[in-house]
Amino acid sequence: MPRREDLATIAALVGRAKNELLRVPAAAIPGVLAPTIFFLGLNGVFGNLTQLNGFTTDSYPSFLVAVSLLQGAGFTGAATGVNLARDIEGGWLDRLLASPAPRWVLLSGIVLSASLRAFIPATAVLAVAFAIGAHWPGLDGLLIAYAMVAATAAVAACYASALALRYRSQAAAPLMQAGMLALILCTTAYAPLALMQGWLQDIARVNPMTQVVDAVRQGFVGGIAWSDTWPGIVALAGMLAILGALSLRGMRRTAV
Amino acid sequence: MSSLAANLRVVRALGMRSVRQTFRRPQLMAPIIVFPTLLLAIQTGGAGGAVNLPGFPPVQSFLQFMLAGAMMQSLMLAANSGGIALAVDIEMGFTDRLFAAPISRYAVVLGRLAGTAALGVVTALWFLAVGLVFGAEIAGGVPGALVAIALTASAAVAIGGIGASIALRTGKSSIVQGMFPLIFVVLFLSTAFFPEALMVEPARTIAEYNPMSFVVEGIRQPIVSGLDGTDVLDAAIAVVGIAAFSMVLSVRALRHRLRTGG
Amino acid sequence: MPAISVEGLERAFDDVLAVQGVDLTVGEGEIYGFLGPNGAGKTTTVRMLTTLLLPTGGRATVAGHDVVKEARAVRASIGVALQEAALDPLMTGRELIRLQATLQGIPTAEGRRRADDLLERVDLVAAADRRIGAYSGGMQRRLDLAAALVHEPRVLFLDEPTTGLDPVSRKTIWEEVRALNAEGTTVFLTTQYLEEADQLADNVGIIDSGRIVAEGTPESLKAEIGNPHVRLTLAEGSIAQAEEICRQIGKLLPPKDARSVLVEVENGAADIPRVVRALDDAGIEVGSLDLVTPTLDDVFVEKTGHHLERDDANAEEEPVEA
Repeated sequence: MPRREDLATIAALVGRAKNELLRVPAAAIPGVLAPTIFFLGLNGVFGNLTQLNGFTTDSYPSFLVAVSLLQGAGFTGAATGVNLARDIEGGWLDRLLASPAPRWVLLSGIVLSASLRAFIPATAVLAVAFAIGAHWPGLDGLLIAYAMVAATAAVAACYASALALRYRSQAAAPLMQAGMLALILCTTAYAPLALMQGWLQDIARVNPMTQVVDAVRQGFVGGIAWSDTWPGIVALAGMLAILGALSLRGMRRTAV
Repeated sequence: MSSLAANLRVVRALGMRSVRQTFRRPQLMAPIIVFPTLLLAIQTGGAGGAVNLPGFPPVQSFLQFMLAGAMMQSLMLAANSGGIALAVDIEMGFTDRLFAAPISRYAVVLGRLAGTAALGVVTALWFLAVGLVFGAEIAGGVPGALVAIALTASAAVAIGGIGASIALRTGKSSIVQGMFPLIFVVLFLSTAFFPEALMVEPARTIAEYNPMSFVVEGIRQPIVSGLDGTDVLDAAIAVVGIAAFSMVLSVRALRHRLRTGG
Repeated sequence: MPAISVEGLERAFDDVLAVQGVDLTVGEGEIYGFLGPNGAGKTTTVRMLTTLLLPTGGRATVAGHDVVKEARAVRASIGVALQEAALDPLMTGRELIRLQATLQGIPTAEGRRRADDLLERVDLVAAADRRIGAYSGGMQRRLDLAAALVHEPRVLFLDEPTTGLDPVSRKTIWEEVRALNAEGTTVFLTTQYLEEADQLADNVGIIDSGRIVAEGTPESLKAEIGNPHVRLTLAEGSIAQAEEICRQIGKLLPPKDARSVLVEVENGAADIPRVVRALDDAGIEVGSLDLVTPTLDDVFVEKTGHHLERDDANAEEEPVEA
């Protein structure tokens, strides 16, 4: 059971993270623009893929929106890792490490701030998606989408934080972004599994993020079913457990 | 006044510096090579069934079709990267050192663009190699490959001039970096990733008139169908037009900087 | 029980032994000055004592707790203001101190009250709600110091607190350190400034190349060196001859620059006429002459063979501290 002081520290660290949004609002623009531009652009480019036999919907925006939501979450989480690397380079992390706050508390503050920030690009993508004709997923579909966006941002933040703690430099930023991009796009991002080419189909089958994409997508292309939801939850829980452990280990080994 | 030979030496030296800078810092190479390669792989694997759509141009494979788009993406990112690097040089005061030297002012900008051209050649070679390794044919053979490489390098220079003009005008790398999303806007509104006839409106109409579409089709033609046809010529005209536009912008921005110091 | 106790402390980075067997003891309520040039191992030692770096050998206790086995208890007992003033330019001064209070487990209302008190103490009330990015170097250091004090630590670590500050800001920090010490706080202060160690420290430890080369009060260390010396500035070309002459009078010391000769004089000012006459008889023109009483730099020279502070503009650059 976390102590009162631990919860207060997590809240304070989340509060600090919001400073960048409120005091340098322009810094939030790339995180919102990137997934939105990709969503609109890919719709314009690949929108007629729905004409292929075997495509599971006739609305490409409805099909694609899930990936763009998760892309925004991945981007936000990666940006959190870049911020941590900047804090390491500038000595700010030393201030946190020299305090009696437990390492898991420090990491939780960082990860939670990513989860909350991810709602901003997600909302922007949803607004644009509905504007160009994506189907309404229902309240349950929307809640599932937002919850999985928050969890994916947490996964991305753990991954990026692990890299930041390992390399202690913002030079690792491309690795943070490329890793999340690959994880999210090597799924049923552009087309249903059956229509994908051999090698990517094999990867998508084993990629846990595919379950998350399909879970977020279900409301937009059809109805919500528990059988389509729980694999996404399990996948996120598994990735969070592994990457969370990795990043916590990195946080605990800063003195080595 | 410096001789032509001396200025060419300067352009060459500054060009080599800019290439070395890029290859020595992986975080600069990643957006130019790694991301476009990743996207090429994913889009080919994910949307490859598009070749079965009625109206899709006759190609050997979706990969063969997409190579030109990947090269276009890469060259635009290389051009943007050159602009960012020039802006960083301005912020650091390095361009002041160059301007204070007895060299042509234009050599400073041309040197940076020479580096961008070299990067354009490298990225073209990379994607052609990737295509060949994964089974795509270059229909135009070696001459076709050379034409594709030449177009990629010259388009990189032409577009690089736009990045350079922004760098010279503003002197801020953050502003040039802010152009990054615009690159993808331009690419999505062109035929980089899909045939124009199969795109969705309004992207389709914009792509029809987008000069980048002409450039992409010029790079694509030698790969997909050989050197017969007018796409290469159209692309060359588009590159010249973009180069003229960017040159005017760069010259004006350079003169403004030299006159006002900022 | 000493506030800080260090035995055989070591830290290796790959093949480099940055700290090689440091032993020191700091009593409760003491100001301990840790003096040494760039790259000597000061910051590495401080990082080990503040639990930011694990030692690769030896042991240390701070406020009675082992820095490795009881790291959390150490962190709860210490205040830290590091060489890199670890400040967030987007935060205000008040926000930073309140955050530090939360990190230290202080309840919110109490943390706010202490923040207000500390801002007044370091004279940052007017700037408290401005962003740290707009603070001057001196203001940032004062804020860093205030944040380190929010939980009233037993031991305060200051890593080069006045490096880069103007003389007025430096004096302000010194006054604050003295005031804290008067209230009972033990202060472990690293510095590369002789005057700072001389002025503030009860005890000084001099470190060079990862080892303690001398330790004691500033007075006792200087008394060890003993004799004052005469510093002569001469024309180029006459140095070698002057050195030969001065060697007959007293022990030559390593020169600070290419145009000076330093010679120890047993009898202090009384030996000056002898030096002047000898040089005059040899036809050597003296540009300037000073009688210099021992400083901590002299102690450093005695122990290491080179100066702590270099006057020569062409001095080799010291490696950056790990």
